[in-house]
Amino acid sequence: MKIVRMAAVGVAAALVLTACSSGDDGSATGGEETAEAAEITLWLNGADTPDELREYLTTTFEEENPGSTLVIEEQDWADVVTKLTTALPDAANTPDVVEIGNTQSPTFTTIGAFRDLTPLYEELGGDDLLPSFVEVGKAEGKNFALPYYFGSRYMFYRKDLWSAAGMEPPTTLAEFADAVTALRTDGQSGFAIGGQDWRNGISWVFANGGELATESGGEWTSTLSDPKTIEGLEQWQAVYQGASNVPATERDVAYWDFLNDGADGAAPAAATIMAPGWARWSIGDLTTNDEGEEVRDGMADTEKFGIFALPGADGGLAPVFAGGSNIAISATSEHPELSENLLRIIFSPEYQQMLGENGLGPGNSQYVDALGEDEFATTMIETAAASKLTPAAPGWAAVEAAFVYEELFQAIAEGGDVTELAAQYDERITPMLNGR
Amino acid sequence: MSATTTGVPGPVAAQPARSGTPALPTAARTRRGAPGGRTARRVRRALLGLLALVVAAVWAFPVYWMVLSSVLPSARLRASTPTFLPTSATLANYRSVLDGDGFGSALRMSLAITGVTVVAVLAFAFLAALAISRFRFRGRLTFVVAVLFVQMLPAEGLFIAQYKMLSSTNLLNSVLGVSVLYTAAVVPFTIWMLRGFVAGVPIELEEAAMVDGLSRTRAFLRITFPLLAPGLVASGVYAFLQAWNEFTVALVALPAESARTLPLWLRSFLASSANRGVDWGEVMAASTLIAVPVIVFFLIVQGRMTSGLVSGAVKG
Amino acid sequence: MTSTAARPAPAPAARPAPRPRRRGPRLTPYALLVPAVAVLAAGLGYPLFWQVVTSLQEFGLAQQFGQPPTFVGLDNYARIFTDDRLWAVVVRSIVFCLVNAFLTVGTGVLLALLMKAVHPVVRVVLQVGLLLAWAMPMVAAVTVWKWLFDWRTGVVNWLLVQLGFDSYAGHAWLAQPLSFFFVATVIIVWMSVPFVALSVYAALTQVSDEVLEAARIDGAGPSRILWHITLPLVRPVLSIVLLLQIIWDLRVFAQIKLLQDGGAPVSETNLLGNFIYETGIGRQDFAGAAAVSIFVLALTVLLSWPYVRSLLKEDAR
Repeated sequence: MKIVRMAAVGVAAALVLTACSSGDDGSATGGEETAEAAEITLWLNGADTPDELREYLTTTFEEENPGSTLVIEEQDWADVVTKLTTALPDAANTPDVVEIGNTQSPTFTTIGAFRDLTPLYEELGGDDLLPSFVEVGKAEGKNFALPYYFGSRYMFYRKDLWSAAGMEPPTTLAEFADAVTALRTDGQSGFAIGGQDWRNGISWVFANGGELATESGGEWTSTLSDPKTIEGLEQWQAVYQGASNVPATERDVAYWDFLNDGADGAAPAAATIMAPGWARWSIGDLTTNDEGEEVRDGMADTEKFGIFALPGADGGLAPVFAGGSNIAISATSEHPELSENLLRIIFSPEYQQMLGENGLGPGNSQYVDALGEDEFATTMIETAAASKLTPAAPGWAAVEAAFVYEELFQAIAEGGDVTELAAQYDERITPMLNGR
Repeated sequence: MSATTTGVPGPVAAQPARSGTPALPTAARTRRGAPGGRTARRVRRALLGLLALVVAAVWAFPVYWMVLSSVLPSARLRASTPTFLPTSATLANYRSVLDGDGFGSALRMSLAITGVTVVAVLAFAFLAALAISRFRFRGRLTFVVAVLFVQMLPAEGLFIAQYKMLSSTNLLNSVLGVSVLYTAAVVPFTIWMLRGFVAGVPIELEEAAMVDGLSRTRAFLRITFPLLAPGLVASGVYAFLQAWNEFTVALVALPAESARTLPLWLRSFLASSANRGVDWGEVMAASTLIAVPVIVFFLIVQGRMTSGLVSGAVKG
Repeated sequence: MTSTAARPAPAPAARPAPRPRRRGPRLTPYALLVPAVAVLAAGLGYPLFWQVVTSLQEFGLAQQFGQPPTFVGLDNYARIFTDDRLWAVVVRSIVFCLVNAFLTVGTGVLLALLMKAVHPVVRVVLQVGLLLAWAMPMVAAVTVWKWLFDWRTGVVNWLLVQLGFDSYAGHAWLAQPLSFFFVATVIIVWMSVPFVALSVYAALTQVSDEVLEAARIDGAGPSRILWHITLPLVRPVLSIVLLLQIIWDLRVFAQIKLLQDGGAPVSETNLLGNFIYETGIGRQDFAGAAAVSIFVLALTVLLSWPYVRSLLKEDAR
């Protein structure tokens, strides 16, 4: 497809149309050939955006831009940075519009890989757009990437076990710590969390008002030694050591397995876990679906399973790390106007609504109602509103790539002295954040 | 067998590596040791056979686990008590990975790339191996050493250069572009491998045939080539698997969704994200589908590897 | 054919090794090399050139996105050589590589001999068993092994507990660098042995039964036959297989990376490939990654040099 396009752009737009109509059904009947008509490419990551939404984008785009076509290509999350690194600077092969993981955004916004979207900011939603995501897509005060969708993480728990121990969902972080510590036995974690799992662990830092890093005058400083951050890290250390049986080296664990009953009705491996909302569909009792396959029932037994948002230090909600994506236009795109038209469709009320209906948190907070009204939807919206992202520093990708926080959290989980570790890692992280 | 304690005659023990004569008159078969020795040998052979079966089972166990995981419902995967038998098998994972045309187009792409690579690798490497083991010429050593060393370059840092190269020659997303990269990656190894096999065929054999009146080319084709067949097959299987399972180069060289190979298609089942976890049952089903053509390919060539060509041509 | 090949089985030891004595057109060998050289130049020439040039420049994401790179001489090398982490990784990689290469080749030779010794049907079963392992896509292979060694639901721990080793309940194999590398070695040996075994077996088929039979008649025991006849005859293949294993095992990357995903002491288990990946793709320090790559190339050349020299000497005889 790309080769066809590359060759054709140089020759004539008409050629593009004929070349592409074979691949795209139903779009080339009229064939109105205007000078600027072209084919643009949108890269979406993973299977998160459902087919229904993709079709909507293609058909709407083609209706609103007669003669032009939209090709959606699916990229894999694991490879997206590599592929963007090679393709974005290559004007002949660049995708026009790309989805990018929220914490990956700074890597590209800070080196001018994306087109400045500041002029469109108000039109596409302005201050209604999810602030933490807008922030992470900004560089030098300009908007380069805007929020596409968000997910959120909250606590899943075994209501039966909590009730049997006479406990209710906690209202403060300290209550949570006490409860899950009391629920731990040799065979069962009160709260299952791996030692290296800093993406869940940083909630304790945020809940105490701490930060991982701050910026001043363009210089980033790692702030692990800030008293509030240390307080949070020490609380997390106590929770891990008191409530979790998961090894200190684990991260990205499929925690949802822990909450299910073992084979032959054996007790579950954990009373509480922290996970993204979709974990729900991997939790519950075994049942048979329409196609006769064994599946989990999605926590149908509300006496047995439940959820709650991680409470803050003094009540309210603790800020959690929010997953999700931003969307941006390649700076080398040869069709910036068409690309902007596509963004207009993505940020239209109809499309934002559709995101919500499919369980994706819409980038524009006006439409979060579309997620629904059940407990899962409301908890997702609440936690997302209180969510926080990792620092938008140019060297953030380097910090993640070197697994620095994994190491730090493992050392803390193993009982290291938090103050000492914080000082040691501040020294290591600060230069990395600033790109060297 | 019975004579292990007696001294071994000098010539056998001191036989130098290269002057062995693989083909002797078949008539020279002599009777073996005493009947008692024969029973012992039979027992030994049976025991070795048993050992071989155990080794095969151990080696294939993870493969069995993959296939098993692909037919178990996801809810049963990774339970704390392992499930060893597919008691509640389902083909749902296969249905869902085969849904859509992703598999078909990836299969075609993989077959094309692998086919081109295997043929190119074997042809190019065979000619080069011949040159370095049957001829002396200026620059030979340089070539031999250079070929060995180019494959020592770590691949993890090459992706930008590879992309730029393909992009500037309009070969992104094409079978040719990625095949050139694969061939270049596999050819050095194959040259050395085949060189070892060519070296294993004594040149006297060919010369003797030429004395008999065969032309050099015919002598080569009749005598040497069949003896190289096992080496060619081993190298071919290697090249096949390299091209078939490779994904880091493919990722860079084939960015378009329509140009995906099977390993890239497999990767699309691997990503978890904000909205979806990895469905390991699907991953295992997709992996199983990718492994099947390799087994088929091997079963086709393995007969040649062991029986047909070798014994037939040499002894006939 | 039969008449011409009828020479006495034990060849006279004193006879010098054959020298190629072809006198054909002097261009023939060069012509034979053309396709291989062409494809190598096309596929590896430019990337190698780029790697060398980049290692002498300042080249990060900004340069990849159009900023002209500046020449910095050997700064990148100075920078990586003063990085303590690099040396730890180098030592770790060399040890890991040698252990794995010798284990792989040793096991492979044993299995090849086993193939030779058993009934053809059993042999095919063994070959298919090995090939199944070889054919398994790497991601699936590493994932399955990770499951087998999982601390909570793994079959290995389950089996050990069934056998009475209760302390292995919940044992985290990947948590300690040493046992992490044990698991990695199991996986890599498991993956690489099929290639070695099948190649060595292919070489063994070149050894004619008659030679072995003659030795046996002359009274040589099985171990003497193995050491003095069989192995010397397959030595060309054996040498190259070992050398290639060393080269490949020094560059092990994906298996380690996949094992690290999901939890392991990362910086204590990184090998050279991971180090390059982290520097390049992870931190977008492409110049640094290029410098490390060139260094690894030099290191491999250095490591294998004595070996290559002996190969060449043998070749020159």
